[in-house]
Amino acid sequence: MRKAYLVEEDTIVMNRDMTDLDRFVKDFLEVLKKHSGYLIVSGFVSISSGRARGTEDVDILVPVMDRGRFDKLFKNLNESGFWCYQGETTEEVYDYFKDMSSIRFARVDEVFPNMEVIPIDATRKAKFFEFNHPQKMRVQDFEFNVPPIEFEILYKELVLKGKKDIEDARHLRVIFSELTDDAKFKEYEPIIRQELR
Amino acid sequence: MKKLTDLDYVEQYASKMKSDNSLFRQQSRLIESQMRSSSSMFRNMFRGTDFKTGARDYLRKIGLLKD
Repeated sequence: MRKAYLVEEDTIVMNRDMTDLDRFVKDFLEVLKKHSGYLIVSGFVSISSGRARGTEDVDILVPVMDRGRFDKLFKNLNESGFWCYQGETTEEVYDYFKDMSSIRFARVDEVFPNMEVIPIDATRKAKFFEFNHPQKMRVQDFEFNVPPIEFEILYKELVLKGKKDIEDARHLRVIFSELTDDAKFKEYEPIIRQELR
Repeated sequence: MKKLTDLDYVEQYASKMKSDNSLFRQQSRLIESQMRSSSSMFRNMFRGTDFKTGARDYLRKIGLLKD
């Protein structure tokens, strides 16, 4: 019997094996990281840390990029076995992304799970803040960026507020009770509340 | 005796898991079972048709894809 996680330098290392969901996200990130920064937010953060629930989508923040860079990313994802719900070509899909609408990718011949790519820029203050303050998490050899845990908890409690979100937040509060810092909750709350205005 | 709420269960599970990582095995089975069911359901649903066309029609119906 071992603890659920340990902290190595600045990385939260989960003491568990990888799941098929982790492999899906890892494969997607291996392509995305060649083209852009990213931050995984919401349900996958809780599930990675042990929350016992399924999910159909994995939310990921990606800064808006120009058409040329997007085209390379889009083609690379297609070549790597992902298809996009919104269309087959950059011409069909880029306008959604540029207009700050989410686009979704699943593995070829699958519908779920999907990666919900959420475009962000500096006008989305709370999202931009968390994007710029990543916390590293690792499962086996799969390392990925998530928001600061206090930020993720508050975002779920103050902005999302659905039953599932409140349960996710409670899970994170309990499992990471030794890591979270009251001063950070205080620091992040006004940043998150801007999202409510 | 006070009836436990869903939130109480979440809290109890997380408290236990914190010091016992064997609970991850149950969680993994749940996640992978959901993924297998979903995969099998959609393969059957769109059998004999173009998968993406069928999938996009379905996604429009459930509101995940807008025209």
